[in-house]
Amino acid sequence: MATLEIKDLHVEVTEVTDEENQTAKEILKGVNLTMKTGEIHAIMGPNGTGKSTLSQTIMGQPAYHVTQGDILLNGESIVDMPVDERARKGLFLAMQYPAEIQGVTNAEFLRAAVNARRPKDDQISVMDFLKELDKNLDILDMSEAMTERYLNEGFSGGEKKRNEILQLLMIKPSFALLDEIDSGLDIDALKVVSKGVNAMRGDNFGSMIITHYQRLLNYIVPDVVHIMMGGRIVKTGDASLAERLEKEGYAGLRDDLNIDVALVDED
Amino acid sequence: MDTMETQSQTATAIQTAAQQHNEPTWLIHKRLAALAQMPDLPMPRVQRFNYRDWAMMPDTLAWRQSAPELAATAESDCQIVQVGQTTVRVNLPESLQEQGVILTDIFTAAREYPDLVQAAFMTKAIQANENRLASYHTAYLNAGVFLYVPDNVVITDPVDVQLVQDNTQDQPLVSHVLAVAGRNAEFSINQHLTTVGDQTNLANCLLEVVAHANSHVTIAALDELGPQTLAYVERRAYADDNAVVNWAVGFMNEGDTIGNFDTELNGNGAQADAKVIAITDHDQRMGVNTKITNRGKHTNGNILQRGVILEQSELVYNGIGDIIHGAAGSEAEQENRLLMMSSEAHGNANPILLIDENDVMAGHAASVGQVDEQQLYYLMSRGLERETAERLVIRGFLGAVLSAIPAKAVRQQLIAIIERKLENGR
Repeated sequence: MATLEIKDLHVEVTEVTDEENQTAKEILKGVNLTMKTGEIHAIMGPNGTGKSTLSQTIMGQPAYHVTQGDILLNGESIVDMPVDERARKGLFLAMQYPAEIQGVTNAEFLRAAVNARRPKDDQISVMDFLKELDKNLDILDMSEAMTERYLNEGFSGGEKKRNEILQLLMIKPSFALLDEIDSGLDIDALKVVSKGVNAMRGDNFGSMIITHYQRLLNYIVPDVVHIMMGGRIVKTGDASLAERLEKEGYAGLRDDLNIDVALVDED
Repeated sequence: MDTMETQSQTATAIQTAAQQHNEPTWLIHKRLAALAQMPDLPMPRVQRFNYRDWAMMPDTLAWRQSAPELAATAESDCQIVQVGQTTVRVNLPESLQEQGVILTDIFTAAREYPDLVQAAFMTKAIQANENRLASYHTAYLNAGVFLYVPDNVVITDPVDVQLVQDNTQDQPLVSHVLAVAGRNAEFSINQHLTTVGDQTNLANCLLEVVAHANSHVTIAALDELGPQTLAYVERRAYADDNAVVNWAVGFMNEGDTIGNFDTELNGNGAQADAKVIAITDHDQRMGVNTKITNRGKHTNGNILQRGVILEQSELVYNGIGDIIHGAAGSEAEQENRLLMMSSEAHGNANPILLIDENDVMAGHAASVGQVDEQQLYYLMSRGLERETAERLVIRGFLGAVLSAIPAKAVRQQLIAIIERKLENGR
């Protein structure tokens, strides 16, 4: 069993206001969260509240600076590790805006990613790789032609999301952070993507699902739901919390909890 | 005057050397005429690249033997291999000989086929008085190859031209590859330039193609001259009516280099496509002009250049599209892109369009940039190490040109060289 612990996490991003001035803006203001493999956690919250910052900071995006607190993977602090090392230790982030890489085929990249987590003298054989790839393409209802295309290049929004989940299925991390994997998906695509994530469910897999909407959680039922507001987790509950939120909205919850945050934060 | 005296002494020395070498009178005259005009000619202009202090004209013409075993042993059916001035191997299938194909060293050709050589040698694709290095080349020529493919002859396998600069000796390599394509002829050349030995020398290597009407010539060139070589590489073509000349050049020299490529689309409907890849590293400096001149009507020129600049090196790409008045209905497209892999790298990508005709289509794109950090982050977030991620991004960047190289063997060789350079250059 693997664990991921977030302890009193404070995070800043540097904003360039004009040519000479940079200001640091604190986005996370003391996040605490512990998850184990075997669990699915959902993080919900209004716009601009730090959900994506949390996932990018856990993964190690260099633009986010941890100013206080810690992130522990299996008891080991990872805040000073580069992103690739965190990935090899079992973290995965399905991104909201995956990069496009010309000239590198999806299949070639997938194989390199699978092998990056394996020892040099135990790289996956072509046969095993293709077998695994076929199986996962099937689950996601993707055509084989997708694997010969350049990585994300010219992919539609929905194709990119599916491709993120294909990578998840191939790489098999301990913890997957899914950042708004439902945005821009129609209901059929949403079902397919959920099917992919559910296929990973089990004792050796945990996931943190970031979403605005409860809808995704009908397909991937979470064990724990956290509500974030103003850079903190303000309430934690089970799947029924998401349903309640759907009915009452964030404003209702804010008033119940007597929290002083502005909700319409369009950044 | 001293300089006049020196000049006449040099002329005598060249004349003597050429006579010892049993060269025909026309060639000796051509050398001397070129020598005489050298001082009045400008150096080739490479915009935004200063090479004024490079010593590119050592004044020696001497005949030396090189050891044949310095050449790689790889043999192909249709091949010429030279080490320095020494021709090590010539293979030409009998069937091609019977059809009148000629493949030999340039001096043998000048003696045995004077009409063919004299008509094409620095008369059409480039002339000795174009610039000082071209006249130097003519005056001090000391090696070369002649390929003649008569009208209507089609050679299916590539003609393999391997030139090994012999830097085990102190001598410049001044080499001329002359390829003549008769009407409707079709062939391709794989040219490979390499260096053995570690003495410091100049290489002045010129390849010229004279493509007669409706001929189709493809040149894949892989330049791998060594770090001790100061290189001037000139590749020129003259294309007559409806002739097609396609280039793929991998500029992988390790020393300071000037590249000067030009295809003259003289005939109506002639076409040229020039693809160039370069990688520079250490404190290397490289300046490249890639030019296509549209002279005939309805001619079509396409330039695609990509370069990767490592460490403290400098790479300048000038893409030059020159459309002459009267070349109605012509097209000139070009794209020049550079990727800088270090903060100390220098790069410049200049599209230059010279258009003196209204009825044309012309376009250009150019960029100089760093590796996209977002791309690296994405690849690394899947567990790839930074080096691997960078290599993938670079390979993708060069991919547009690499995938367009028709000869698979050349493409694979080029990929291997690129991988090696990226491995070392960090």
